[in-house]
Amino acid sequence: MQEYFIIVISAILINNIVLSQFLGICPFLGVSKKLSASLGMGGAVSFVLVLAGALTWMVQTYLLNPFNIGYLQTLAFILIIASLVQFVEMVMKKYSPTLYKALGIYLPLITTNCAVLGVAIINIQKEYTLGKVLVHSLSHAAGFTLALVLMSGIRERLEDADIPESMQGTPIALVTAALMSMAFLGFSGLI
Amino acid sequence: MSLFNEFSKGVIRENPLFRLVLGCCPALAITTSVENGLGMGAAFTGVLVASNIAISAMRNIIPDSVRIPAYIVIIAAFVTMTDQLMHAFTPALYTSLGIFIPLIVVNCIILGRAEAFANKNSIIPSIFDALGMGVGFTLALVLVCSFREVLGAGTFLGMPVLPGSTPAILMILPPGGFITLGCLLGLLNKFQKKSA
Amino acid sequence: MRDIIKLALFLLTVTGVAGAGLSYVNGLTGPLIEKQILQQKIDGFKEVYPQGDKVENESANYLKDPHDPGLKEVNIAYRNGIPAGVIYAVESKGYSGPISLLAGFDIATAKITAIKILSQRETPGLGAKAQESSFQDRYKNKNSAEALEVTKKAPARENQIEAITASTITTKAVTKAVNAAREHFTIHFAKAKQPGLIRPGGTQDEPI
Repeated sequence: MQEYFIIVISAILINNIVLSQFLGICPFLGVSKKLSASLGMGGAVSFVLVLAGALTWMVQTYLLNPFNIGYLQTLAFILIIASLVQFVEMVMKKYSPTLYKALGIYLPLITTNCAVLGVAIINIQKEYTLGKVLVHSLSHAAGFTLALVLMSGIRERLEDADIPESMQGTPIALVTAALMSMAFLGFSGLI
Repeated sequence: MSLFNEFSKGVIRENPLFRLVLGCCPALAITTSVENGLGMGAAFTGVLVASNIAISAMRNIIPDSVRIPAYIVIIAAFVTMTDQLMHAFTPALYTSLGIFIPLIVVNCIILGRAEAFANKNSIIPSIFDALGMGVGFTLALVLVCSFREVLGAGTFLGMPVLPGSTPAILMILPPGGFITLGCLLGLLNKFQKKSA
Repeated sequence: MRDIIKLALFLLTVTGVAGAGLSYVNGLTGPLIEKQILQQKIDGFKEVYPQGDKVENESANYLKDPHDPGLKEVNIAYRNGIPAGVIYAVESKGYSGPISLLAGFDIATAKITAIKILSQRETPGLGAKAQESSFQDRYKNKNSAEALEVTKKAPARENQIEAITASTITTKAVTKAVNAAREHFTIHFAKAKQPGLIRPGGTQDEPI
């Protein structure tokens, strides 16, 4: 039980996927301008992360390891993720067209979201069981959503601030991320 | 368009990291030393050139509706080969770059160039396009690395350059990456505005 | 319908060719990679216990009984066919992640020969200094009879290790790992009255 707790705290606060491990930066910078889009993106990525984590773990355990074809990991994982994202796109288009339109190009770009492939690979590197994989993926998804939501809150405020023209947009967002990352560094010694 | 033009656009005018703001994840994560930057740049360029060649060669046989999955398979294959070659021949670099070698497969730049250039042009221009983007990305990485390594560790390519002073460790920690890239982008925006 | 089949077949072919190419490269690089990992291990052992001419992994024998979970491997270094040293692979929890290290002990003198940190994820510039020789040298020639302690000031007694400035947690983690190895060593190897090896189950007067 304690191990699960450590995985959750570690993934959300200490090794936050965006602010400490630099995975998932593109959507983090691209979608975090509005709180609603951030929440939607966070939800979509969470769904893909957990499912991808589980599926990739199963493929690794039952297909790649027994047949000693571990070197096909990258290929297999990215294909699984691409298919999953395609599936999510179709479902979202049918059941939530407003969210589908709001996310726009960023939805198919979840395939190239380093966070999804990254967490899938980390699950295997840490040799987790399926239970821990699910908890780990869900926690990283929560951490990603948290970072996104915090960033969008700040960026909505920044819209009213007087920022020098060359720093507007991505540069100031990166500096904001730096400050957030510094704050999260404070969680380092938590466990 | 001349071949040199294809090459040079990737280096300055359409620099993938600074102008197109793609490929941020490795740019922030591994840029703690110039050696890492050069290594990642080389690996990335290798994969980009190989995949551009392959996709350009096959551009007339890949059916349009499945082109994205096909590109992904081709790119993933080259990335895995690069990963294994690096593990066998450059183990130290392999360990420092870590998980970011397989993550080259989701580097938007490669898929982007395949989609925007290689599937519409013949092999030789595609090679130059890939080389240009690769060199541009490497230069951008090395620029970020230089700031972070000199300010954060007091060394450049492992050689001490600020003797006697204590480096600002923050620069090689995650916030340092964000702030370096942010300030560099801001500076470049300013230069571009002045010349425009 | 035929279109979908054609597309699927095409993708399958592309994947097949890609897979074949990968198997080829894997065949080429696989043995090289394995050789390298082995060489790194051998180099590590040599650094930690230089006087051995052959090292055997005997964890199956020595980790049979309940032991500290941080102990991962027990390797015996032989010199001229006689067991001369023990090299432990130990892990412990550091500040930001697991720290894994090798700890070498000399059987004749019952002292720690050296330690080598294999991997760590501590803060660069602070805890990461544990991988520097100036820190690892602090463990050299320590007597294995007494448990090692961490102190923030200069060491007053032989069994004290000075902590890295502002990284007491990292130092304590390394010391905890070395102590786990030290305890195992004291129980299984250091109680010999005569030079030789005592297997668990043997007595002090009858080395095997």
